[in-house]
Amino acid sequence: MIRVSADFAKEVKKRLGGETITNCYQCGTCTSSCPVARVTNRFNPRKLIVQSLRGKRDDVLTGEMIWLCCSCFNCQERCPQRVEIADLIYALRNIAISEGNVPNIYSEFVSALYSEGKLVKVAGFTEKQRENFGLPPLKKPDVEAIRAILAETSFGEVLKVLEGKE
Amino acid sequence: MKVGVFISDCGGLVSKVLDIGDIEKYIRGIDGVKLVEVRDSFSSGEGLERIVRAFKERRIDRAVVTECSPKIAEIRILNRLKEEGVNPYLVEIVDLLGSCILPHRSWPDKAVEKAKVTLLAAVERAKLLEPIESRRFPIEKSALIIGGGLAGINAAIELIDTGFEVTLVEREPFIGGLAARMVRFFPTDDCALCVQAPIYELKGVTKTSRKGLYRSGVSELPGLNIYTNSRVVSVEGEPGNFTVTIEKKPRYVDETKCIGCGECTKVCPVEVPDLFNAKLKSRKAIYINAPNLYPPVYAIDETICKFKECAKCVEVCPTKAIDLDQKAETIKLRVGAIIVATGFEEFNPEVIKEYHYGEYPDVITQSELARMLDPFGPTGGIPIRPSTGEKAKKIVMIQCVGSRDRRYNRYCSGICCMIALKHADMIKKLDPESEVQICYIDIRTTGRMHEDYYERAREQGVIFVKGRPTEIVLNPDSGKPVVIVEDGLTGEILNLEADLVVLSTAFVPSSGSKELAEILGIEVAEDGFFKEYNSKLRPTETKIRGIYICGGATYPKDAPTTALHASSAALKAGKFLRSGEITKDLKVAVVNEELCGDCEFCPVVCPYGAITTVEKEGHVVARVSELRCEGCGICVGTCPKNAIELKHYTDDQILAQIRALATKLDPKEPVVLAICCAECGHCAIESSGIFLIEYPPNVRVMKVPCAGVLKVHHFLEAFNAGVDAIMVVGCKPEGCHYEYGSIKAAQKVAFTKTLLKALGIEPERIEMFQMVHIEGDRFAEAAKLMVERASSLGSIKEMIKI
Ligand code: SF4
Ligand code: SF4
Ligand code: SF4
Ligand code: SF4
Repeated sequence: MIRVSADFAKEVKKRLGGETITNCYQCGTCTSSCPVARVTNRFNPRKLIVQSLRGKRDDVLTGEMIWLCCSCFNCQERCPQRVEIADLIYALRNIAISEGNVPNIYSEFVSALYSEGKLVKVAGFTEKQRENFGLPPLKKPDVEAIRAILAETSFGEVLKVLEGKE
Repeated sequence: MKVGVFISDCGGLVSKVLDIGDIEKYIRGIDGVKLVEVRDSFSSGEGLERIVRAFKERRIDRAVVTECSPKIAEIRILNRLKEEGVNPYLVEIVDLLGSCILPHRSWPDKAVEKAKVTLLAAVERAKLLEPIESRRFPIEKSALIIGGGLAGINAAIELIDTGFEVTLVEREPFIGGLAARMVRFFPTDDCALCVQAPIYELKGVTKTSRKGLYRSGVSELPGLNIYTNSRVVSVEGEPGNFTVTIEKKPRYVDETKCIGCGECTKVCPVEVPDLFNAKLKSRKAIYINAPNLYPPVYAIDETICKFKECAKCVEVCPTKAIDLDQKAETIKLRVGAIIVATGFEEFNPEVIKEYHYGEYPDVITQSELARMLDPFGPTGGIPIRPSTGEKAKKIVMIQCVGSRDRRYNRYCSGICCMIALKHADMIKKLDPESEVQICYIDIRTTGRMHEDYYERAREQGVIFVKGRPTEIVLNPDSGKPVVIVEDGLTGEILNLEADLVVLSTAFVPSSGSKELAEILGIEVAEDGFFKEYNSKLRPTETKIRGIYICGGATYPKDAPTTALHASSAALKAGKFLRSGEITKDLKVAVVNEELCGDCEFCPVVCPYGAITTVEKEGHVVARVSELRCEGCGICVGTCPKNAIELKHYTDDQILAQIRALATKLDPKEPVVLAICCAECGHCAIESSGIFLIEYPPNVRVMKVPCAGVLKVHHFLEAFNAGVDAIMVVGCKPEGCHYEYGSIKAAQKVAFTKTLLKALGIEPERIEMFQMVHIEGDRFAEAAKLMVERASSLGSIKEMIKI
């Protein structure tokens, strides 16, 4: 039997970014605004919201949809009900992460940030190119400072979750 | 001072619980009480006559009467006394059954004490009551109607038919308003400007028929005066006697001479896009919107006419109707009542940049489509692509443009779905081969026969796409607009290319509504529409007597609802004007000019705009309009100098009652004073009695018209007199009978708390409660809470006199 309930929406409403979820009246402006939804039907922000509103917590948090948003904020600009859709998707991601549901690519980003102070490793080739263009070498990030910031924010917890996952 | 006390046993209900003999004995001992009578009832028959005789023969000066259905008993008793020439304001009515018996059945002994103290307070108050004078104010038996759309015309016809003179003011050169542009109307599919012909017997005018406005005979109604091209610039005076100043712009064409031949237009050299016809054609400087409008005479657009430089039209006019020297006129009139019927207008969708209205010529609004669908309109009834002039075969409509949108207008405009369905129907009837697609969020067709349109549209093959488009783009190859929308039912994103995209825009208040509201001293709501006195029960009244609102001025409406609304406003105005005078008991606020000076607080707080200020001996003093004052006392509660008093609830009267209610017959029992407003507050307390919900008899109740009348010193005085805790019971702020009385009271309670703290007294001894009238259970709970608090806190040791 399929159960519907408002419990998950209530939970999301309490999260930073999730407050506006119940404003949604399913007009679909977000979906037709979304560059991702225009190229693939694997992503549909309106559907993501309706699933959340119906209480399909597991589908939402373990599915791929929440990770497909590219944070362009197009939808958020145009939503007639002022649903903060992109922020809402962050809220959903935060819940998913705290429960250990993160795609691997994100774990890689996070560990790179933690160990190198950068999201992406800079290859030797890039350094050469910079030299050719007469650009100064890239500064080494202050990894210690970055770690301190990460520790102060809830990133530390995210890391713990990720470590647990490995 | 001789006070008579009349205790009704309510058919034995009282004596069943209370020892009436004991109460009687106590009452006889009160200073000033010269007569005490106990009977079954005092609200009719012999009982009532005994009160009359007590005044007339035994010469009592004041009376206290207890009755069990207080409101009804009150009306009967007071009416009878009035008949006999006794001023009804000298009588205080107490509901012993409701306040002392029903809610306290478990504590009969304590209930007796409460009854005694309640009666003591009533006697103390009665001693200070003063007769209230009743005054007659003459009324001008005529009305002004502002706005000549469907609502204004209908209201005018109704008022004239009921026998009043009406002046109708329309700011445009032609009456008809938005309706005149909308071709046909649902649900009758007939002409928008067919109005119910007025009822007067004349050959050729049939009562029952609907007529085009121009031939309905409206303009010939005796007593109707229509000013077009005119605006109301000021309104002064009092309800029943408004002095209105109207500015009439020159038309430059004598309405009585012009025969509408149109010779002038032919020679006029100035041409501009015709706004009435959605710029689909042009018009001249001398023009008529449509020949079937009223008045069916031409007008000159002074913003573009070349006047003396040209004057060609003057020459050709066969009746010499054109007068280029015509000047603006100022007209002053006196009217008794005013009806605002200024309607609504289309929201300008230009601000929704992604729809490119105003930029892409083939994106238009529903009223512009309506002009195309008018067989006598600029395109002869055929929808076209404005960019090319070709017939539009594929039309996409977008609903809720600027409605139900938190960025623009949160509300549903209510009629746009029906307008879209009506137009879809017209297009399909014209050419079943043309395609119509409607993008919607929800289709709303509430109203008789309205769902038929939705059914018919589906039968005719209109496609409904459940989705609100994100944007309209232009196909660079075809040059046609493409609507991008998610079909919510299939989850697909569609690109709907169209010949014509029609935006079903929101409807917003007519421009200038705010300014007009200021001129009239009435309010507009958050959405910008005129605010009704009470949206449930008094939808066509405003807070100011004699000023009414109707039609789209209060919210977008369809024709049937507008007609209903107009009749309602006309009825209210007629009721007000009917007798030619208002009789009013002057239970109003009175300014003590000796004390009043220069603060100007009260004019701001009065919800009825009843207070103005005047210069007096170098000071600004407040002046109360006896007619506008509704007797709430919010001004009293606000005045920092005690310079304004409410008759029948003066400071002395309120304080006397408070002090009496503080009397402790049993020193061990705490006393909680509940001061409630006469509206929801009192109703809530009463309902706990009616529904047999008990609360402790330590709570003693006193009623004031509005909690807004209360002042901080009332509370301090109560504590001084021995009250242990105070509860102020008012309406919920959103339902406050006097707008913000309850909020004002809450502020004073909060301030009192601060003061108490400073005095070393527990601030939780006073609390504000806001409830709706059926919340007797909530009152009982609150009462229990406060009694518990009072018991645990004990008596106040020392009160510092302020
Ligand atoms: S645009 Fe806003 S209201 Fe419409 S479906 Fe998306 S989130 Fe809901
Ligand atoms: S913010 Fe995310 S959901 Fe919104 S339009 Fe951009 S990619 Fe789509
Ligand atoms: S006087 Fe004015 S209205 Fe008359 S013809 Fe000339 S421009 Fe036109
Ligand atoms: S009593 Fe109320 S209505 Fe009368 S003047 Fe004062 S605030 Fe206005």
